[in-house]
Amino acid sequence: MNSSADVERRQRFERVVTALHAVLYRYAAWLCRDPHIAEVIVQESLLRAWRSLDTLREDDAAKQWLLTIVRRENARYFERKTPIMVDIDDLSPTQSAMIAATGEPDLDDVREAIYELEDEYREPLVLQVLMGHSTKEIAELMGIRQGAVLTRLHRARLKLKNSIDATGCRTMARDSG
Amino acid sequence: MNCEEYREAIAADPSGRLAGDDAHASGCDACSKYRDEMREFDECILRALAIDVPEFKLPGLPEIEPAGGERPAVAAISSGRRSRSSFTSPPLWAGLAAAVAVVAVLFIGLPDTHTDHRQLVGEIIAHMDHEQASRQVTSIAVPAGTLHAVVDRKVAAMNRDVGLITYAMSCVINGRTVPHLVIQSNTGPVTLILLAEETIDSSIPLDGENVHGVLLPVGSGSIAVIGQREDQLDEIDRIGRELAESVEWSI
Repeated sequence: MNSSADVERRQRFERVVTALHAVLYRYAAWLCRDPHIAEVIVQESLLRAWRSLDTLREDDAAKQWLLTIVRRENARYFERKTPIMVDIDDLSPTQSAMIAATGEPDLDDVREAIYELEDEYREPLVLQVLMGHSTKEIAELMGIRQGAVLTRLHRARLKLKNSIDATGCRTMARDSG
Repeated sequence: MNCEEYREAIAADPSGRLAGDDAHASGCDACSKYRDEMREFDECILRALAIDVPEFKLPGLPEIEPAGGERPAVAAISSGRRSRSSFTSPPLWAGLAAAVAVVAVLFIGLPDTHTDHRQLVGEIIAHMDHEQASRQVTSIAVPAGTLHAVVDRKVAAMNRDVGLITYAMSCVINGRTVPHLVIQSNTGPVTLILLAEETIDSSIPLDGENVHGVLLPVGSGSIAVIGQREDQLDEIDRIGRELAESVEWSI
């Protein structure tokens, strides 16, 4: 590859990933529920993305493309490990910091409830609320049908509502608005 | 759409995209209230999901080979799609290439292992220069969760009593993300870089400014053990031997 093409490639990559880094990190962190592992997953994902950048035809599609890479990288990370049930009372310092870093007890409660959701409910919720994905996009990314996505989103919110003091949450929403 | 269907649709997507034109809610106070509650609740969820993001660090990006130079033979073998017949009747050029290689070895000598790994050694030494701050004398151990996140993916087993581990970070060296640790030894901080995918045949000395150590072959990978002073080399040798005996790669 000649040097000007290489420079252009690097500039394109930097432009794309810099804009999406926060999104990728948060997605990874809510997938694996550990900030440090999330950093490792994002770094590995960026290296994979760099090697296959030429398969990304349009930069507008970069978000979905990178999220797919992060999702696969997360699966790779855990494929050799026995799944571990996370006990909310026995978290590592970094895991605890992830769910209790706001200084707002109500918000921490919501974060803790999301943290405790099963993966199958937490992931579509993150994709819809945080990433702004449509149910069709979530279905494509997760490899499930749209109907299943809708069911999971519906159940995820009901589970959260059942475990959170809704009054506190409403107050928070008003304060932030 | 009845109340139950409307509420299911709103709980699946409070924006109302799935619940049609909100005609139902405009004629049903209870469902209208339910919708507003769900939208407020989603604002809470959004705020809760927006966790702090660490500073963005772009990994070291390896050179990309031009199209056509991407080791097709390796890819074909690993994917298991190569046919048996392609192995049984190698093309003429392969025989000629092998003959040329044999003649080259006879006349030029065996390749110099150290020279082959110049890029790797250069990157390790440059990396030490970048991360001087990691080599601090301290008695504060790195949190277990951090160590787990950095090490466990590459290393199946390792003697963690080799010294107090005070630094653990995933770093990119030679295009691969690798665990970079610092332990507090009897002679001061010693850096360990665990290179699960870098195979070397024999030990390679690592020498640079404030860099005195060795790159050791360990199974199918290697480990860099690095101090800051020459008088640490005996300690480095001891640590290297202990690690070489205990490390098992996951990859």
